[in-house]
Amino acid sequence: MSVSHSHPAGTHAHHELGFLRKYIFSEDHKIIGIQFLFSGIIFLLIGGILALLVRLQIGFPQGTLPHIGRWFPASWGERMSPDFYAMIFSMHATIMIFFVIIPLLTGAFGNFCIPLMIGARDMAFPKLNMMSYWFMWPAFAIILSSFFVEGGAAGSGWTSYPLLASATMSAGEGFQSPASPHSGHGQICWLAALVFVGISSMMGSVNYLTTIINLRAPGMTLFRMPLTVWAMFITAILQAMALPVLTVALILQLLDKTINTTFFLPPGGMAFGNWHTGPGGGQTLLWQHLFWFYSHPAVYIMILPAMGMVSDVIATFARKHIFGYKPMVLAIAGIAGLGFIVWGHHMFQSGMDPRLGTGFMIATIMIALPSAVKTFNWLGTIWGGNIQYTTAMLNALAFVAMFVIGGLSGIFMAATPVDVYIHDTYFIVAHLHYVLFMSSIFGIFSGIYYWFPKMFGRLMNEKWGKVHFAMTFLFSNCTFFPMHIIGVAGHPRRYYDSTLYHYLDKVQPLNQFMTISAILLGLGQIIFLINFLWSLFRGAKAGANPWHSNTLEWTAPSPPPHGNFEETPIVRRGPYEYGNPDIEEDYLPQASPQPSGVPAPAH
Amino acid sequence: MQQKGWSIFFGVVLLGEFLLFAVAPFVKGWWLPDNVSSFGGEVDYLYYVILGFTGFFFVLTEVLLVWAMYRFAWLPNTKSQYIEGNHRLELLWTIVPAGILLFIAFAQINAWEKIKYQARMPEPDLVLGVTARQWDWSMRYADEAKPENFRAWAEIPAIDDIYLPDELHCWKGGNVKIYLKTQDVLHSLFLPQLRLKQDALPGKTIPVWFQATEANVRFNEETGKCDLSDNKEWEIACAELCGGGHYRMRGLLYVHESKEDYLKWFKHAQAEARSRQPEKKPTPVVAKD
Repeated sequence: MSVSHSHPAGTHAHHELGFLRKYIFSEDHKIIGIQFLFSGIIFLLIGGILALLVRLQIGFPQGTLPHIGRWFPASWGERMSPDFYAMIFSMHATIMIFFVIIPLLTGAFGNFCIPLMIGARDMAFPKLNMMSYWFMWPAFAIILSSFFVEGGAAGSGWTSYPLLASATMSAGEGFQSPASPHSGHGQICWLAALVFVGISSMMGSVNYLTTIINLRAPGMTLFRMPLTVWAMFITAILQAMALPVLTVALILQLLDKTINTTFFLPPGGMAFGNWHTGPGGGQTLLWQHLFWFYSHPAVYIMILPAMGMVSDVIATFARKHIFGYKPMVLAIAGIAGLGFIVWGHHMFQSGMDPRLGTGFMIATIMIALPSAVKTFNWLGTIWGGNIQYTTAMLNALAFVAMFVIGGLSGIFMAATPVDVYIHDTYFIVAHLHYVLFMSSIFGIFSGIYYWFPKMFGRLMNEKWGKVHFAMTFLFSNCTFFPMHIIGVAGHPRRYYDSTLYHYLDKVQPLNQFMTISAILLGLGQIIFLINFLWSLFRGAKAGANPWHSNTLEWTAPSPPPHGNFEETPIVRRGPYEYGNPDIEEDYLPQASPQPSGVPAPAH
Repeated sequence: MQQKGWSIFFGVVLLGEFLLFAVAPFVKGWWLPDNVSSFGGEVDYLYYVILGFTGFFFVLTEVLLVWAMYRFAWLPNTKSQYIEGNHRLELLWTIVPAGILLFIAFAQINAWEKIKYQARMPEPDLVLGVTARQWDWSMRYADEAKPENFRAWAEIPAIDDIYLPDELHCWKGGNVKIYLKTQDVLHSLFLPQLRLKQDALPGKTIPVWFQATEANVRFNEETGKCDLSDNKEWEIACAELCGGGHYRMRGLLYVHESKEDYLKWFKHAQAEARSRQPEKKPTPVVAKD
């Protein structure tokens, strides 16, 4: 890592730290952000490999994996077994959501960007910040080791619905579950790992809120904050309010599995075949409510920061003021607010009272409104701009193009009668990947290409960046778009072998096409990895402000030293002064002195 | 040109996606399966309404995006327009989508109530008990198509019930009420052609109704089997992850031409069941609340 060793004399007295304190147990928000970035990318790789295995099985359900297949737990010769398949799709989702997207967006970019963009020296609580990263490590260790416990890792879907996830043997008969070989020890590991992830995110969100409220540089009013910071701020509120519910739910299921409580095990006890579910008094639906009360806001935790980052990237490279700054802020707040009253749309077919479904449906459909407002404002921002097609910008534009698809397809599932048919088919798989892969991951790529020079002082290679972008954009669309079609045809999700069903005969060629595209998509990411690692050491040196951007982080050196700014910047205007006709340059950084002859902004 | 090339790249990919959706309805097996239920038409209609609105906004926003990418590609020594926003435009693109979304939302309510509200379910002509388990469907048929006290029958099996794995029989035009249970984990009864899906919850009995509007079998008294007409094979699937065998909970839906045909089949199946050794039946699930 080419982190600067120069320490300009600031007012903040500090001494040279040893390697361990500086890069490993660091309290510097930038290093912590980079730590989240590196671990996120490693887990992205793991999650991606799991995804390819899932796709292989769906595309070629009768196929064998010569040699490799034999190593799979419970393999059927050289084929993977249905139980193994359940394990890999469950772990794919778990890793992508809890170990990749949330840590990358809030952990990596939240940590790196917030203090720099508001002109602070560091987070409000640097030690808490360090803890929030190191609480991820028990989670990393537990989730990775869960692949090797008896029965393998969790295999009840990333949603872990009881009873599949939580049925247990009677007291004293061990933790192996009768419901599925993957819901014994693996499930306990899953629950424990997620508790750690949750605590980590919780510490992060408290820190972000405090930092944004208290540590803004002079002149940085709330409505002069870049949209990235606004998005992180509102995301932190979401996390702070929703995470306790998930943590409690995880602990309740953990108790169900370990000490035979029955929070999620229904009355009936021995009536469930020969399975012991305890004397019983709980409700399986309770888990779904608690889980989605967190996990629906979590969907917005996984998209709002990307929306904020993309807004900044688009304004920078369109060389244009963001269109409708305040409506953009209000839209983020609107999505977050409505996000708390829509969780029931995951449960329309769950056996929940259908009258509740009607209410959840109306709230859910209305959440498309702030999303539409944001899309139109992005279009307004590039309209009349002077667009520089950097890799960061291409990824940001891809975010907008793909979020439109993911947003619109959501309306189908929100509409309860249509959802009766479309629920738990591949249509939802298409939708969620258009939001979480095609939007969030493009947002993350955009952020990496954009802030890489600030993080490491070097630029990523643009040519290979564009090759990577082109491959990713093309193959991800080939991988995920046909899922809409097979979903409309009624292909259920999480099927080990759909060729048993004659009504799905005709979609199997599409499945194979998607699998091949997914493999090419995976290969494309090798270009990214090589570019990333090569640029770390050999990339062209970036100056303080390679993109001619306005926000405060670009006034600090690249990479910024400990303490970030040589002197605390004084903010004089909003973050999007691009293309102002009164001045010669096409940008005017937030902390630059007011040019003579230009009227100061009113706000 | 290299700058403008990116807008073309975006345009081509998005056009491909548009064309896939335009072509799919005409490819057999790539679109909604044939609808054979009384409320399926409404589900399909609402699907097309939403497809119309979302398709319109998809084309509108993507065309604007691609056009802007083309039109406003980088030119040296050029400045962008200096605009901070437009209050009227914001109002326009807030109020118009809000109106459309509210319309979409309220348009759903009637069909949803019709499909799922217990109070609106019609008086049944045929009552069935369906119990999901790892990994098949156990269908329970009463001696009469509709037992006198069918709500009690749903909870307490009768001595002359017959059980069939994975075969759901009913007749065209008959209102069917299923009492859906699960013996172990969550399952979800999914009948694509009926546009019907309902999760089964441990410890609960959930009523589900449908009326098939088309028949696909006729009982053949000589062979004692049901003959499929025109290869209309209508499958039942499980739509909620229920363990390793989730994918193989395949069942079949048999819609007879008439009640008489159904009864002929039923008498035959009953006689066959009685001639077999009595099997040990699964213990009934009795909800205590």
